[in-house]
Amino acid sequence: MSAGHDHLLSVSDLTKTYRTRGGLFSKASDFHAVKNVGFHVGRNETLGLVGESGSGKSTIGRMVMGLTAPTAGQVTFDGEDVTSLPASRVKDVRRKMQMVFQDPYSALSPRMRVGQFVAEPMVVHGIGDSEADRREQVVGLFRRVGLNPDFMERYPHEFSGGQRQRICIARALALGPKFIVADEPITALDVSIQAQIVNLFQDLQQEMQMSYLFIAHDLSMVRYLCQRVAVMLRGRLVEIGPTAAIFGDPQHPYTQSLLSAVPIANPRLERARKRIAYQYSPETLGNQLEEVSSGHFVLK
Amino acid sequence: MSESRTVTRSMLHAFLAALIRSKPGLAGAVILTIFVLAALLAPVLGLPDPVKGDLLARLKPPTISLSGFGAHPLGTDQLGRDILSRIIYGGRVTLMIAALSVLTGGVFGVVIGLISGFFGGWVDRVLMRVVDMQLSVPLTILALLIIASLGPALHNLVMVLALTSWVQYARVVRGQVLAVKSREYIQSARAIAAHPLRIIFHHVLPNVMTPAIVVLTLELARIILLEAGLSFLGLGIQPPDAAWGRMLAEGRTFMSTAWWLSVFPGVAIMLTVLSVNLLGDWLRDYFDPHLEG
Repeated sequence: MSAGHDHLLSVSDLTKTYRTRGGLFSKASDFHAVKNVGFHVGRNETLGLVGESGSGKSTIGRMVMGLTAPTAGQVTFDGEDVTSLPASRVKDVRRKMQMVFQDPYSALSPRMRVGQFVAEPMVVHGIGDSEADRREQVVGLFRRVGLNPDFMERYPHEFSGGQRQRICIARALALGPKFIVADEPITALDVSIQAQIVNLFQDLQQEMQMSYLFIAHDLSMVRYLCQRVAVMLRGRLVEIGPTAAIFGDPQHPYTQSLLSAVPIANPRLERARKRIAYQYSPETLGNQLEEVSSGHFVLK
Repeated sequence: MSESRTVTRSMLHAFLAALIRSKPGLAGAVILTIFVLAALLAPVLGLPDPVKGDLLARLKPPTISLSGFGAHPLGTDQLGRDILSRIIYGGRVTLMIAALSVLTGGVFGVVIGLISGFFGGWVDRVLMRVVDMQLSVPLTILALLIIASLGPALHNLVMVLALTSWVQYARVVRGQVLAVKSREYIQSARAIAAHPLRIIFHHVLPNVMTPAIVVLTLELARIILLEAGLSFLGLGIQPPDAAWGRMLAEGRTFMSTAWWLSVFPGVAIMLTVLSVNLLGDWLRDYFDPHLEG
């Protein structure tokens, strides 16, 4: 894709292969969780990553973060190849990129007071001069994500899902990152809370000049939040482009099928909505991303 | 500095307040405290010599009654030794052995379980095979081997008992670590580039301690009984020193004529085990943040 640009994050030919163990009667085989995926995220931009469960979205998120080692391919962040980072540089990179997880119920350490949990990244990275100083910063972070700082001394089980996700976001912000991988951060939340969290992401982006890789399967939220969208199918990237192009003019049959599954909030139109079926077969999937319009690529 | 001291004091205060609110927990704590205090203060309680007997006062029945304690409140044994004194002095030995064995085995087992579960791979496979090997060796053979070659000293007994105990912790903790390891807060700790030791001590250990505490209470009870068994076989505490298990074994031959020889040490064992279990139960609840405690 457009090389030479100053992208915050660019990923090329990213592949993750899991080898299944062969048993007595079965041969060992390779499972491609992610295969030859490439994309980039610009500064202050949100890229939505959508696809069904098991399509490799979360694996990509973890590989970008360096939590899972890719089998092949490169992740370049802020001009630095982070796939083969020496241990001494890992901390510096993690300061600039953080992650928000899917399940706020298992993302908080159950026996740690939430204030401590939010302060932990600062302790690990030696930020703040003293306990009191860090506390002051945690108060700021709590306010920033819309939580009452008085809650600092409480344990995670005392919070609702939305509050927990705010705590996770506060922790991710503690290091002042430029980039956040949000791995389905709203999937586990009530619909009424989802919009609040999405708005929080949006406000924080404007305040702190961050970029997001927003992994989701709720297309309407993606449409609302993201400037560009990438569509995954069985570990392959089938279509990527500006949000308006993906939603207005989907090119790949799988994207069309995916969009046809979104309910319309209008009973009359909803009744007329036709579900487009998509039959997956590895042979029909192409090998080359082709540009159909400016910045809009389709796997052909 | 002074602030952290106040925090510690208020935490202790909260702990004691919660303990007093809980009836079973309090009962366990009180009984255990009485036994421990009695054991610690044995030399200053003015008890008859637990080892030297009065052959003229052999197999005397308990003299405790509403009117008073009498000369030998819980009676005397076949050599005329005071049973109460022997139980209190025996408690020193039994409780010390039990506590030391449980701590040694517990610390060792928890560390092995943490390493095995957290690092996985070949480390896990090697350690778990060692656990299997340990479990496959019959306890009496192991005890015979060690004590016959090293002598029936107290620290050898502690070693044998700890050796039979650590595998229980290791297995339970390993299983719990495997469950905790896949949770997202561990991923989150890795995402901030926290050191593995920090992850283990701040995020894994606190969340695997609950089952370990339960194992500890069960093990303490088991070890007291095991020590009794070893003493019975002559591998534990050597005569004339008193230990609850030994007293139980010696009293067995007089069971039909002098019940007090084995019943009172038996009651001591039972009360200790019961109080440890009650206290352990309460501790588990207290440290569970989901239950308001």
